[in-house]
Amino acid sequence: MSTSDSDPRLYENALEQTEDHAPGDEPPEEGSHWVRNANLGLGFSIVLTVAAFLLAGSDVIYEPAIPVALIVLAIAQMGVHLVFFLHITTGPDNTNNVLALAFGLLVVFVVVIGSVWIMSHLNQNMMPMDQLMKMQP
Amino acid sequence: MFGKLDWSAIPFSQPLPLITSFVLILIVIGLLILVTVKKWWPYLWHEWITSVDHKRIGVMYCLLGILMLIRGFADAIMMRTQQAVAIESAGYLTPEHYNQIFTAHGTIMILFGAMPLVLGFMNYLVPLQLGVRDVAFPTFNSVGFWLTASGALLVNVSLFIGEFARTGWLPYPPLSETTYTPGVGVDYYLWAVQISGIGTLITGINIVTTILKMRCRGMSYLRMPVFCWTALASCLLIVATFPILTAALAMLTLDRYADWNYFTNTAGGNPMMFVNLVWAWGHPEVYILVLPAFGIFSEIFSTFSGKPLFGYRSMVAATLFICIVSMLVWLHHFFTMGAGPAVNTFFGISSSIIAVGTGVKIYNWIFTMYGGRVRFEVPMLWSLGFIFTFIIGGLTGVLLAVPPADFLTHNSMFLVAHFHNVIVGGVVFALFAGLEYWFPKVFGFGLHPTWGKAAFWCAFVGFWVTFAPLYVLGLLGMTRRLQHINIPEWGPWLYVSLAGVGILILGVISQLTQLVVSIRDRDKLRDVTGDPWDGRSLEWATPSPPPFFNFAVMPNVEGEEAYWGIKLRAVETQQLAPEPKYEAIEMPLHSSVGFFTAFFTSVFGFAMVWHIWWMAILALVLAFAGFVVFAWRDKHEFEVPAEEVARVDRARRMAREAFLARLGEQGAVP
Repeated sequence: MSTSDSDPRLYENALEQTEDHAPGDEPPEEGSHWVRNANLGLGFSIVLTVAAFLLAGSDVIYEPAIPVALIVLAIAQMGVHLVFFLHITTGPDNTNNVLALAFGLLVVFVVVIGSVWIMSHLNQNMMPMDQLMKMQP
Repeated sequence: MFGKLDWSAIPFSQPLPLITSFVLILIVIGLLILVTVKKWWPYLWHEWITSVDHKRIGVMYCLLGILMLIRGFADAIMMRTQQAVAIESAGYLTPEHYNQIFTAHGTIMILFGAMPLVLGFMNYLVPLQLGVRDVAFPTFNSVGFWLTASGALLVNVSLFIGEFARTGWLPYPPLSETTYTPGVGVDYYLWAVQISGIGTLITGINIVTTILKMRCRGMSYLRMPVFCWTALASCLLIVATFPILTAALAMLTLDRYADWNYFTNTAGGNPMMFVNLVWAWGHPEVYILVLPAFGIFSEIFSTFSGKPLFGYRSMVAATLFICIVSMLVWLHHFFTMGAGPAVNTFFGISSSIIAVGTGVKIYNWIFTMYGGRVRFEVPMLWSLGFIFTFIIGGLTGVLLAVPPADFLTHNSMFLVAHFHNVIVGGVVFALFAGLEYWFPKVFGFGLHPTWGKAAFWCAFVGFWVTFAPLYVLGLLGMTRRLQHINIPEWGPWLYVSLAGVGILILGVISQLTQLVVSIRDRDKLRDVTGDPWDGRSLEWATPSPPPFFNFAVMPNVEGEEAYWGIKLRAVETQQLAPEPKYEAIEMPLHSSVGFFTAFFTSVFGFAMVWHIWWMAILALVLAFAGFVVFAWRDKHEFEVPAEEVARVDRARRMAREAFLARLGEQGAVP
């Protein structure tokens, strides 16, 4: 029966150092640092984008390896976005964001890989009759 | 001017929907006149429609859910009657009408009945149990609710203007493509589900954020009540999987409106992809409903056994296990569609494994009761009925998860009986138990127990009499969705099932009577202490009904079962904690943006269904304008002065002190 009351003194410094912050909701820091960070990210992402376009049409690297190189560039691009624009870090104030990212990746992985696997089975087994006929010798 | 809409849309030739809709329209007009005559509009507008208070929104969600459950139940009565009278005859419903009814029944029961109730419970309880004053985004919350209501409105408009889908509750292409279903039924379905889906997603984001970011001091993750854990898992699933539904339905919409070919039979489309995507949402959806139901039962078992929940940590682990594994089982809804043994085996095994998590929970509830002082109040009856019903539903589920067995029972009445067994026995029983349990907290007076017991026994017996014959019929070979029956041997089972529906009707009448009787006797049933059931979590620390700011001073939690610890200390020392220093509180201002947006979204949906393009564009612009105006607001909070906070809290403390003194005289230790 009593009461949910607490010691109000506990509330005075409610914002602890370890508190988790949402992207875009971090405690204010120096403006210059923020701008430098964003510009650095912009620079990286432009370099990676331009590199992808140039690589696709050039013969700088061994031709069959170009798709792999493009995938590498794409993943690097994602990394740049996560670090510089979404402010995902490994710091203790970022646990929720990292977990949310991991959960999102898991869901996308499960749905995409699962669908590809299932649909390849279904396409194989449920082929329309005319295509099935064509496959007969 | 009005696209496809003309007078032929009104079903003048079909007396059944015509009469129903006229009666409904009369009831609505009657209600509007009553509200106007009694001058209730200002109260309704300021206190409910524009409210951003999570408790008010929770109550409105529940009200919407209950109305839609009744609508869905009316469909169920018609279906069971049709199958009982249509043995070797045509019955009283035409095939077109019958198909609309089973589609509407499924859609309404899951998406507009059970979902709003579950979301309503989460909205009402999560902030109270976490010891905070509102959800993370209060106005967003109101938008979410009104969008869900907008979807429900569109489904019900289809009764009177046009028709509803005839495709089953998940509109499988190619049947749902324009080639085979040229009417507006599927379009109503698409826009209604799409709009309410956005509302659900908003609430999901809101609850996840609230739980992760807004717990009161000392409320670490492993001190949260299990209901909060299940709400978190359920909302994570909402956030993860509702976008899949949105994408799948958007692709079907493009097929229907722009002649694209995602799911057609020709031009490279693949209807099987729709089935795959829709179940990638559809199976987690089942757990979105049932996980909060498990949370409700966990609260009830522990309260009415007078014991902490057995195996709290294993309960949390089982919840998260189910949350993840529920995303790995969706193929078991289409084992028979042609996947090879590798795929079927994988999904068969993962479907069976998910029963392990559920089994852990069932044993935990049983061990919670073991050695406890069990009080057989109405919520506890529903919970015990749940254990019995859900175990049988779960076991038939494990049977269906075995692919070779599924090939025999797929799409049969056995399947129908199975999923009603888990959804009614799991989700609906939980919702009724929860309504009974938290009603005194919400409205300040309890529900009449005798009528509650009558409702439980009618629902429990009625459920089994209705659905046990359907298991038998499924094994006899009856498929689902039959408009008429050519095999007279099935007759007796269908009659028994119809009799079960009769018992269920008595249950519904008991529920409604209980509500009326309780409102009439509300002074006798008044809950003065705020803790009528000897509860264990923080919502019972507030008075009933809680003030709009929930807690005068934010609680400080020092262990599991936050309120129980505070209560024990108060009983031991025979006094409350010393009065805290009251401070002014900032609360969000009410906002009409949710209602405004949802109103124009409903217009948008209606216009899209009937291809009235100018109206659709206009409504979309206006709906968006609501957000823009809202974003430009200058003032979004108001201050509750410290004196007002102190006045409300001192009243609560007086009630608690009187309660404590009464307990002291009786010498009872709770």
